[in-house]
Parts: sequence; structure tokens; C-alpha cells
Amino acid sequence: MVKVDKDIYDAVIIGAGVSGLVCGCYLAKAGMKVLIAEQHYKPGGYCTSFKRKGFTFDAAAHSFGSYREGGNMNRVFKELDLDKRLKIKRYDPSDIIITPDYKISFWNDLNKTIKELQKAFPHETKIREFFDFMSSPKPAEMAALRNKTFKDLLDKYFTDNRLKTILSVALLINGGLPPSLLTAFTGSQIFSEFLLDGGYYPDGSMQALPDALAERFKELGGTLLLSSGVKKIMIKDDSVAGVVLEMGDVIHSKYVISNCDARQTFLKLLGRRVISEELFQKLDTMIPSLSMFVLYLGMSKDMASLPKPGCTAWFLSHYAIEDMYLSSKKRNAGNLQEFLLRVSPEGESVLAMVLAPFRNTRYWINNKHIILEAFIKKIEEHTTPELSKHIVYKDAATPYTLYRYTSNYKGAAYGWESILSQFADPDFIKPPCCQNLYLTGHWTTRGLGVAGVTYIGYNTANLIIKKERLCYN
Amino acid sequence: MGNVEEEIVSIISDVSGLNAEDITPEKNFFKDLEVDSIKAIEITVAIEKKFKVSIRDEDVPKITTVKEAVELVSSLLNQKK
Repeated sequence: MVKVDKDIYDAVIIGAGVSGLVCGCYLAKAGMKVLIAEQHYKPGGYCTSFKRKGFTFDAAAHSFGSYREGGNMNRVFKELDLDKRLKIKRYDPSDIIITPDYKISFWNDLNKTIKELQKAFPHETKIREFFDFMSSPKPAEMAALRNKTFKDLLDKYFTDNRLKTILSVALLINGGLPPSLLTAFTGSQIFSEFLLDGGYYPDGSMQALPDALAERFKELGGTLLLSSGVKKIMIKDDSVAGVVLEMGDVIHSKYVISNCDARQTFLKLLGRRVISEELFQKLDTMIPSLSMFVLYLGMSKDMASLPKPGCTAWFLSHYAIEDMYLSSKKRNAGNLQEFLLRVSPEGESVLAMVLAPFRNTRYWINNKHIILEAFIKKIEEHTTPELSKHIVYKDAATPYTLYRYTSNYKGAAYGWESILSQFADPDFIKPPCCQNLYLTGHWTTRGLGVAGVTYIGYNTANLIIKKERLCYN
Repeated sequence: MGNVEEEIVSIISDVSGLNAEDITPEKNFFKDLEVDSIKAIEITVAIEKKFKVSIRDEDVPKITTVKEAVELVSSLLNQKK
């Protein structure tokens, strides 16, 4: 059991998701005394892995991006001295998109991807221009797109709906929205993280990332409390004063940073009396992102017909991407049209996912196994007819499972929906209800995914470090 | 004009975490103030909300310094009068 210091901490972080851990590392590196309280018995949030019957499965996050020279993950890992400790491999191609007419690979060599797309869509003349913009958008150009959706952006470059769908499917499944609703910024972020500079994987499993961050955090003097949920954020004179843990311990702190679900932060941890009526109303009308149904399969042998280990495959049975979103909201055993499929790098386990709504607990208790079996059949239909003969372990995570492990509201996979009306809202980074309270992670309305929340963790820490006139270098 | 500058500096300070006294008119958002894509969006959105103006999309990339932002917002406010 880690001992909690009775002295006052400089900062307490609620939740050891990737964003909380990154934020904690930077604050500790700047010399602050930091404690992270995590409800689960292991760090990582959606970036955890688990073992069953000798197989290792990534729970949700299954690869990451933005690790090129100058990319956000790369910079953070270098600044935290993690780049040499973690063995990170990049798979090539990182992604492959399979539709009724096309099979498009996303290669580590961008030129190769562009040529493949140009060959498949010879009438589209702006493919290279689009990739150039996506590879290094200028901040001012992105600011000009602040009121635009990813569809607006695609329409500027392309006319063929099939191409637009191929370029959007990873955003639908990894961002929870179709291009007509997804902000241009978030769409570009996901596109670049998953398709342009994606396919990175740490040695072992995704758990290696939060484990390395947690280890580094402790080395830097931080205290990490696992299996320690937070019950309350304490307020004194309009400023945060610390937290009360579920088990009753009181921890005093100058800053509190919440890496957990935003509704819980405001409604449960702070309470109705602390937040303004305006924020209360807003929370009531804001829409969380969809959740996921994740299938985990342990295989008795390598299956040649499955995608190459380490590569993420996306299957589409048609091109009406808006309809895919609408059917995701009514997900059932009969509408598993588009999904992501990935064989783990060591080739033994398979992860497949589709978007799904939370509905209610009972629905998932009653339907988990029905959808699980239907999902396996769907994969057999698409790629691997003999799949079920070689399955030695099968299980699934439903939206309710995701909620149970991470406490994300309704098992939301990506925080608030990344729609224009819920974008870059200042209330969700530094809420005005009390001093020295910050949020970090995918509920801040500033991005999502492993690389997205890593950046947010770095940014949140920097706001505090600058305020304290400290320096982490 | 003075108030517009103060408000804009305060917005940039909130978003970037930099101290207000370091955000002088000639500072370049991208070279001096570490403004990246998301911060550029946050600053633009906050300015539009604060002054109840809407900046034309084609004008956004033309702004590189704090002074240029103040001038643009001031001219938009004048147009509103």
C-alpha cells in the first residue's frame, strides 16, 4: 500500500488515464509534489491491456500515432525520457481499408499511399494536396476551419463519395462521428494520428505505455494510488483545497486536475451547489460520444486470411457513411456492417470493434453474447470462413463494461461528441466555478485518442507550470 | 482600443498560460507565443465570443501578431457601431 503523505500536495490528479499520467509526469518534473488517485487497480484508462487464458488483449486503444520526429507523442516521450525505455515498433501498412470495390493500404511511406489512392481514383486531382495539408496544417489555417466540419474539408478537395468514405471510416470508428458532424480539427487530428502517422505499438501490449508513464511519474517523486476512487473535490474560499478518497482519506492540495468523466467531475465530485446554473444546464444538454462493442478472440493458430498482425483493417459493406453512424446508434446483432479488425502483433489474439450506444445495463446483459456470436459470423463472412473453428477464447466488452472499468459517462469512447457546438469550450479545460481546478483528457473538448489526450495532458500541465512560473526542462 | 488590447491579451494569456505582461503587441502568435492549431482555434473562438463579432474565415490566416488581432477586432467593432 502506497503511503499518502499527510503534508499538502501541490497537485492531485483524479484518474491515471494517459492524459492524467502525462500531466502528472510534467508537473512532477517541474518540481511539484503530485499525487494521482486512480479507481482501477491498474493505470491507463482506455489504454489498458488484460490477460485471459494466456492471451493478451488490449482493452480498447490498440495502437497510437503521432510518433514521427516532431509529432506530439514523440516530443512528450523524449521530454519525459521514455523514448529509450520503451521499444516501439511501427507496422507497415498501418491500416488497410476494405470496401466492396477497393482495398486501400496506408503505408508508412506516404507517397506510396498517395499513389495507391491516385490509381484507384484517377479522376480526383487533389489527393496529394489534401495529404500535404493533413500532414502539416498551419495553425492559422486550422483556426480558419474552426466552424467547419470534416465534410466541409473533404468537399473542398474531392467529389467522389467512395473516396470520401474511405478517408472517413477511421474517423467514424475512432472518433464516433460521421464527417458531416465531426469538427474539421478533430477529424484532421484523427486522420493524421491513425492514417498518416499511425501504426505504432509498444513492445508487449498497449499497457506498456501507461506502465512506463506511471513508472516515470514515481521516479520523478510522484505518488500513484491505485484502487483509490475519489469521492469529493474539496473547496475552500472559491478555490479547490484537495480531494476526499472513497476510502475516506483527505488529501490537501493546491491544484486539482480531473482526468475523469466531466459530468462526474462537476455533478458528483464538485456538486450541484458549486457549479453555476449555466454550466448545470449545459451539462444536461451536452451529448457524450458513442461507446463501443469490443470483441476479443484468442486463436489456436495464425490465420492467413486475417489481416497481417499489427495492421488495423477497416471493413465497409457500402459507402453511405452517414447511415453507418445512424445504424451505430441502433446497434444490434443484425447491423454490424462496418467494423475494425486487428490481429495483435504476436499474431495470437484478435480485437474487433464497432460503435454502439449505451442504452441500459439490462440490454447488454441480455444481448452481449448474441452480438458477440453475430460479430464472429460477420468476420467469417468478410474474411475468414474458418474463424470459429480456431477460437479458443472469446469475450467482449460492451458499453456497460467500458463504463464499469473507466467510469466514463455512458461508456463514452471519446468524451463529448466532437461536434462544432461542443468544441474548444473553455469551461472544460479551466472551469470558472472555482480556482485552481483543471480538466485533462478527452472530456476537455480538445481532442481524443492516445496522441490527442497525451497532448492535452502536456498542455494542462503547462498551464499550471507557467502559472507557477516553474519550468520542466 | 486599449480595452480591446487588454481583453485580447487576457484571452491569449488564458489559453497559452503565458503571463499577460509577456504578451506585447508585436509578438508573433506562432513564433513567440507557442500558438499551435488548437490554441489558434481557442483564441479565435474566444475573441469572437467575447466581442460578439465574427471574423471572416479568409481573414484568420492573415493575423500573425497580437497587434494585427487588436486592429482587426477594433475595425470589426467600429463596423458594428
